[in-house]
Amino acid sequence: MHTVWVRLNAVTFYALSVLLGLSVLAAISKIGHSSRNAPVVTKLELNTLRSLKAHGGVDRALLSFDLHADLRPAFHWNIKQIFLTVVATYETKRNPVNQVVLWDKIVEAVDGPDKMVFKEDNIYCKYALIDQRGGGLRGKEVTLSLVWDHMPLTGLLHMDKSVYNSTFTLPDSYAVKRQ
Amino acid sequence: MIPAMIKDIYDKQMIELKKLWANKRQLTYQVLNLAMIVFSALMIWKGLMFITKSESPVVVVLSGSMEPAFQRGDILFLDNSNPHVKVGDVVVFKIKDRDIPIVHRILKLHEKPDGSYDLLTKGDNNRVDDRGLYAPGQLWLSRDDILGQARGTLRYVGMVTIALNDYPVLKYVLVGMMGLFVLTSKEG
Repeated sequence: MHTVWVRLNAVTFYALSVLLGLSVLAAISKIGHSSRNAPVVTKLELNTLRSLKAHGGVDRALLSFDLHADLRPAFHWNIKQIFLTVVATYETKRNPVNQVVLWDKIVEAVDGPDKMVFKEDNIYCKYALIDQRGGGLRGKEVTLSLVWDHMPLTGLLHMDKSVYNSTFTLPDSYAVKRQ
Repeated sequence: MIPAMIKDIYDKQMIELKKLWANKRQLTYQVLNLAMIVFSALMIWKGLMFITKSESPVVVVLSGSMEPAFQRGDILFLDNSNPHVKVGDVVVFKIKDRDIPIVHRILKLHEKPDGSYDLLTKGDNNRVDDRGLYAPGQLWLSRDDILGQARGTLRYVGMVTIALNDYPVLKYVLVGMMGLFVLTSKEG
């Protein structure tokens, strides 16, 4: 049987199989790359604690931080973008583990190497550090760490975090820093 | 030109089907062939569900809320076998009593002493977090709402599913054609 239909069928499914095969190869080709080549973080620290207030029954802290990091090693041909987040972790009596994203940024491969090197100070948090009702942020020790997610064109997603992180302690009482 | 071609194909298929009906043994063979294919596909799907412990191990990205990473039409492979999630994970979740799975990233995580989680999510491309999407009065998601963590992605393949969803008649056309095909094709 060599009708148009049979040929179309054969071509389509062969094309799909080839596409699948290539995608798998693309994914396999970069296994392990991300664990060996990590972004280099030279500084991630609290810059200023702008305010720590009780706001509608929950504690809320607003702060700014410094971030010096070089993301270039983490990029390879199969990476479409790196999703960068600054995560604050702390512990309260109510919840043993709290992880809150303070700031995130999408760094795309097409942006070019200039955008991949960060040397910014006093970055204001995008999302406030808000604790749940009944917890409380006063006097708590907060760890800032950089977490990045490799998002490939095709293949496996891989998340990693920096070994470099810094800690600061929130004041024991509510405060607002007047500029 | 096209209608003539379609009529031609239709006629050929009808002839094949009539021949098939006359030969019961051949018909049984072809039907079993078709059943094998269908059941193999079902086995693979169920197998995936078992390994990933997810009720939906492969999902299609429907909205642009995670651009530029995931575009409408990409498919995501999910893994639900890890009871622990962490901030920054890309997860697929369903809000209770709603059908549509949503792919977003965990923005805030609070783990309680009993090990349960309160989670807040946000799409990378959205300006605000997902509280507005949750059920009225719901402030947090729990681990049960999550169908799985996204582990891998394949581009564009999901376009087929989106087309089938937007034009349901295509579903019947596609399945009908494929079924006809398997029934009437002769192996060597």
